[in-house]
Amino acid sequence: MNSIIALSLFGIANLFLGFLNNRKILMPATLAFILFALGLNLADWNTEVLWFNNMLRTNNLSVNFTTVILVATLLVVAISRGFGDDEEHSHPAEYYAIMLFSVVGAIMMVTFENLLMLFIGLEILSVSMYVLTGSDKRNLRSNEAALKYFLMGAFATGILLFGVALVYGATGSFSIYGIGNFVTENRMGQSEITPMLYVGILLIIIGLLFKVSAAPFHFWTPDVYEGAPTIFTAFMSTVVKTAGFAALYRLLSVSFVGEYGKWVYLLYFLCAATLIIANITAVYQQSFKRMMAFSSISHAGYLLMTVTSNQATTQSSILFYSLAYSIATVTAFAVMILVSENKTSNGKPDESFDAFKGLAKNNPLLAFALAVSMLSLAGIPLTAGFWGKFFIFSDAFKRGLILDLIVAVLMSAVGVYYYFKPIIASYMKEGNIQEITIKPIYKLTLIITTILTILLGLMPDLVKSIF
Amino acid sequence: MTYYLLPKIIMNIWYFLTALTLLSALMTIIAKNPIHSVLYLVFTFFCISGHYVLLNAQFLMAVNIIVYAGAIMVLFLFVIMMLDLRKNMPDSKSNLTKLAGAILGGTLLVIFIGTMRKASFNQATILENYTSQTGMVESLGKILYRDYILPFELVSVLFFVAMVGAVMLGKREAGERNF
Repeated sequence: MNSIIALSLFGIANLFLGFLNNRKILMPATLAFILFALGLNLADWNTEVLWFNNMLRTNNLSVNFTTVILVATLLVVAISRGFGDDEEHSHPAEYYAIMLFSVVGAIMMVTFENLLMLFIGLEILSVSMYVLTGSDKRNLRSNEAALKYFLMGAFATGILLFGVALVYGATGSFSIYGIGNFVTENRMGQSEITPMLYVGILLIIIGLLFKVSAAPFHFWTPDVYEGAPTIFTAFMSTVVKTAGFAALYRLLSVSFVGEYGKWVYLLYFLCAATLIIANITAVYQQSFKRMMAFSSISHAGYLLMTVTSNQATTQSSILFYSLAYSIATVTAFAVMILVSENKTSNGKPDESFDAFKGLAKNNPLLAFALAVSMLSLAGIPLTAGFWGKFFIFSDAFKRGLILDLIVAVLMSAVGVYYYFKPIIASYMKEGNIQEITIKPIYKLTLIITTILTILLGLMPDLVKSIF
Repeated sequence: MTYYLLPKIIMNIWYFLTALTLLSALMTIIAKNPIHSVLYLVFTFFCISGHYVLLNAQFLMAVNIIVYAGAIMVLFLFVIMMLDLRKNMPDSKSNLTKLAGAILGGTLLVIFIGTMRKASFNQATILENYTSQTGMVESLGKILYRDYILPFELVSVLFFVAMVGAVMLGKREAGERNF
């Protein structure tokens, strides 16, 4: 709650900082704002507070999720380079402000107690994302992506809202615990259930699955991720996914746990479908950015698996996986931004795998960071991604989701193939990439994320014991 | 279950309004001319406002007419007139897409009808809790500013983002467009 208030104010402060003629101050200011919010958030550790008439709940779970979101934002802002390379056409103050506001929405989605708060949080996050997707105004792909995302997202929001209305009609409550109590009492035959509840649950699940881009609601993802400016793709694929899964998990595990037998089959098959579609399609991609889009869909599939299993350990699995995934994704995109800008084809950044050819020769740090992040995303041991997958698979095993497990293991093997493409290109192919000059903070971010990925791969208990 | 707890005249008004709403909503999507389509949509909003009155939500009725039928729809009409969309666009959808859409929409309709048929509304408890003041500004304000103060305040962040985004995206840019 404190971080929500702080970030809302900081967003406005950021807009005012935009009036200054000094653009260099914006990025350090934003970093400081996020660090301050992170501090406020961590100060809530071990307190359990319900805010404003049961609208928000602050507890250790919400603090953890907020921390993951804020860390991801911090990393993305750190590699944004102040949006300063195009003096005329970029509006850094607005970008940073909208990013801060979108984090407000994301935090609302992980702390909500009331479905209204979920809806408003989701909308703040989505509207910010539509704007950021279209922020490269002169790029037709960016325009198309923003319009596509906006139209489809608006429909998904409508479906979610309809679901909320039906659930309210069936249970008479907006509070997730109120709904949970009603559903559980129903199980024990104390009140009469109406089919309206099931339709409501279905529509809410559809709305949320759209936002986390699980199949078959993933069709917007590749185009939007490819069209958006890369820095916002990194932001989108980390923050939105974490917040979306936190919301989905909280809703399903608190409100609808009494109807587990009903929704488990839906998620069971959607999870398998997501994994298969995403991984098979990713193999055929030529563009690194598009491959990362399908990779993000496939990670939605893995996360969906642990939500489906609904074990006591699910929340820590989601947290660990989101953290590992966010760090690796930000690293991968950070390397891609540098490499693709360095090598243009037809006047625009070259985002294909060929752009990475011969990267290791003159830029060992970039190539190493890329390799570690790819290994982590593929789930190779000694990286954070391995443990993320391990925890999720063991959750699924405990619940006995055999089909999902088989598909997930097979698809992880497929994943290794396409994640190794950029590594092979950068280490084993001949190319002529000169040494790329990197700003200190950018370099520092790359080093920190790489070290974190390896450290979490060696000692997952470092954070797993906190979650 | 007794269906005539409400006075019969109210029920008849309800049926009339519902038929009108459905008809005008259908015409909104059937109409070939976009301006007709928007006018039917305005009419749909008026019908829905009528439903609000029957549901004892007078303030919402007024807001619905002022905001939706008044402001937003006029804006909508303006844009359509300025863009001059009246010439018939060639139908870009393939038959397969149309069929898939029809099947999906039809399935959803069947689900909703089935759900509503099975839903049981306990009219006795509804009548017990009935107060004529529910939809008045006073009780609405009390709920909005006491129980729902936090979402009410945080909606302002949503609008602010939308505003900042609109200004940012709407500003004219010099220079070439690229692909």
